[in-house]
Amino acid sequence: MADAQTAMTQLKEAYGASIMEMTPINGTPRLRVIKDDLPQVAHYLHTHPNLRGALSLLWAVDHRPRETRYELCYLFTLSERKDWLLLCTDLQGDERLFPSITPHIHAAQWYKREIRDMFGLIPQGHPDLRRLIRHEHWPKGAHPLKKDFPWDRVLGRQQGEHHFRRIEGEGVFEVPVGPIHAGIIEPGHFRFSVAGEPIMQLEIHHFWKHRGVEKLFEQQELTAATPLAERVSGDTTVGHSLAYCQAVEILMDVEVPRRARYLRSLFLELERVHNHLGDVGAMCNDTAYALPHAHCGRMKEQIMQLNDRVAGSRFLRGVNRVGGVGIDLTREQLTQIVAELDGIEPDFTELERILFANASLTDRLETTGVLTERTAWDHAVMGVVGRASGVDQDIRRDHPFAAYVELPPKAVLYQYGDVRARMRVRLDEIHESIRLIREIEQGIPQGPVLTMPTEVPVQGTWAFSAVEGWRGEILYVVMAGEQGKIHRCKVRDPSFVNWPAIQWAVLGNIIPDFPLINKSFNLSYAGNDL
Amino acid sequence: MFRIIKKSLKTGVVTGKYPRAETPVVPVVQEAKDKTKLFKRSLTIREVDTGSCNACEMEMNALMNPVYDAERFGIHIAASPRHADALVVTGPVTVNMERALKDVYKQTPDPKIVIALGDCAINCGVFKGSYAVTGPVERHIPVDVHISGCPPRPTEILKVLSELRDERRRSGD
Repeated sequence: MADAQTAMTQLKEAYGASIMEMTPINGTPRLRVIKDDLPQVAHYLHTHPNLRGALSLLWAVDHRPRETRYELCYLFTLSERKDWLLLCTDLQGDERLFPSITPHIHAAQWYKREIRDMFGLIPQGHPDLRRLIRHEHWPKGAHPLKKDFPWDRVLGRQQGEHHFRRIEGEGVFEVPVGPIHAGIIEPGHFRFSVAGEPIMQLEIHHFWKHRGVEKLFEQQELTAATPLAERVSGDTTVGHSLAYCQAVEILMDVEVPRRARYLRSLFLELERVHNHLGDVGAMCNDTAYALPHAHCGRMKEQIMQLNDRVAGSRFLRGVNRVGGVGIDLTREQLTQIVAELDGIEPDFTELERILFANASLTDRLETTGVLTERTAWDHAVMGVVGRASGVDQDIRRDHPFAAYVELPPKAVLYQYGDVRARMRVRLDEIHESIRLIREIEQGIPQGPVLTMPTEVPVQGTWAFSAVEGWRGEILYVVMAGEQGKIHRCKVRDPSFVNWPAIQWAVLGNIIPDFPLINKSFNLSYAGNDL
Repeated sequence: MFRIIKKSLKTGVVTGKYPRAETPVVPVVQEAKDKTKLFKRSLTIREVDTGSCNACEMEMNALMNPVYDAERFGIHIAASPRHADALVVTGPVTVNMERALKDVYKQTPDPKIVIALGDCAINCGVFKGSYAVTGPVERHIPVDVHISGCPPRPTEILKVLSELRDERRRSGD
């Protein structure tokens, strides 16, 4: 019920002495809090029944060489109205320690370990200070996002071993899986502890694909980094590039033409449809039900070939540009897209009937890999996975971007949090996306599709933007550096938030069901590892 | 049951419904073709991702869908490198994956060929120069075939793979 303004007043009443400054940043209220008081303020914001703020993003910035300070920012999403609220704090000079909020807020766990690895700042009171991104063979003292760390010197090697959490006792054994898996998928390590069949514990050890994306952004110009954003996670090309472009557009004060906003929504929905189709098929395949996999693979291929015909890229690469879109579609092409989808939708509906009529499939999917609403909320889980567990969140509706102001989508919501719920969210979203694409084709205005950015943003100003990609909420924070370069770019794929939640969803399930559960989450390794 | 049969009959055969590929940018060298002669008419592939953006993985997966159906050319995906004739490597080699790649290479029985798939595997692509990227695949293990593109289309991958196969047919084994 609380919007950001009442939240501010409430926080000011409760913690007036801790709050140093209140300034908004692109419409989002920002509170500067005294470092040592931040955990209390965050805890209040997180637990107060009126506010119930979920931690959406936590990032750090190294302000050198301009100022010798680190800044930590905590972005909260308030319940009900989904308003954003920012808490910021500074670490002046040589300070390296800051109090951790993790004991109160689960969702901060990986973010804090990430900050420790990338900046060398140490969260005090954090329950788990093992390395996360820096695998143990990275040399001591290598913190890549510090400004004095050279971006292009390849890391050396030292000896080291990762210590997994260990459960000991009679009949308990460990099953290591990865980093290289049996299928055509990305690398990641999973360590199961089992006694008999059920999983007692799963620990995820990722970041094998860490390519230094955020540091690479810092070497680029604001207007030239879209190709890199497209390659953060290849399957979410449109989502990532759109989130990046929007952040830069806010910084450069560019008004995107209305037609371009419609086209952006169109491409984002196309991406959602082909990925969801692939996921539905892959989930059936993991229950050894090959028929829907074949049908879904065929329909997905149809859309990817359509992408190739209209945009020249199967992944819609090169579509988004700072200031608009790089290609315009003719009326014939728009009609062609809708005609193709008009063919696919009844085809897909028939397949849905086959799926729902299959009792053995339902048996495999129901009550498998349950992520409860409480756990989902504690970990601030989002996107498809969140909506299957009753977390009602959809950036397209809550903070409309592109054409969604004019074409509001219906958010799909299921409560059970099992594999079947996650599949049903995808099934429903496919229909919803097709509906949106039809509306876009009907209502798309004429006009230009690109505004060239002219202004060079002031050094040190920053902006953030959110996009509902097909997996969930993608966040970008972009800070301008000198002469139109990027000072800092924080990339947050929904996978980074949702990965830890799998560790809870698999508990009590058997290992043979893990591939199915993992597929129903279908998270990106590339977008997580950066 | 009838619903399923009806659906299959209505759909018909979709295999082969894709636009033809152009000739690959990097031609397949003769040595690679000679090496694959031993595998006769099948090629069992193990895919290794060493840091790609996962678009190449999606295209490899697409190869196995009913439209491309690479199985009809004798191309299989193996679950273990120990069962593979060919390694397909995607992505620039990250510092964290370097050792895993070398292990996989060692575990693949000889004779074997290595295919670098996508621009990143060939020259690191947009990730070139990063502190976390140790260089293209060629720096770590010998590469026989290059398939460029970001990502290469399934038709382009298929074209190269079938070129390796055509050679075998001509040599008459």
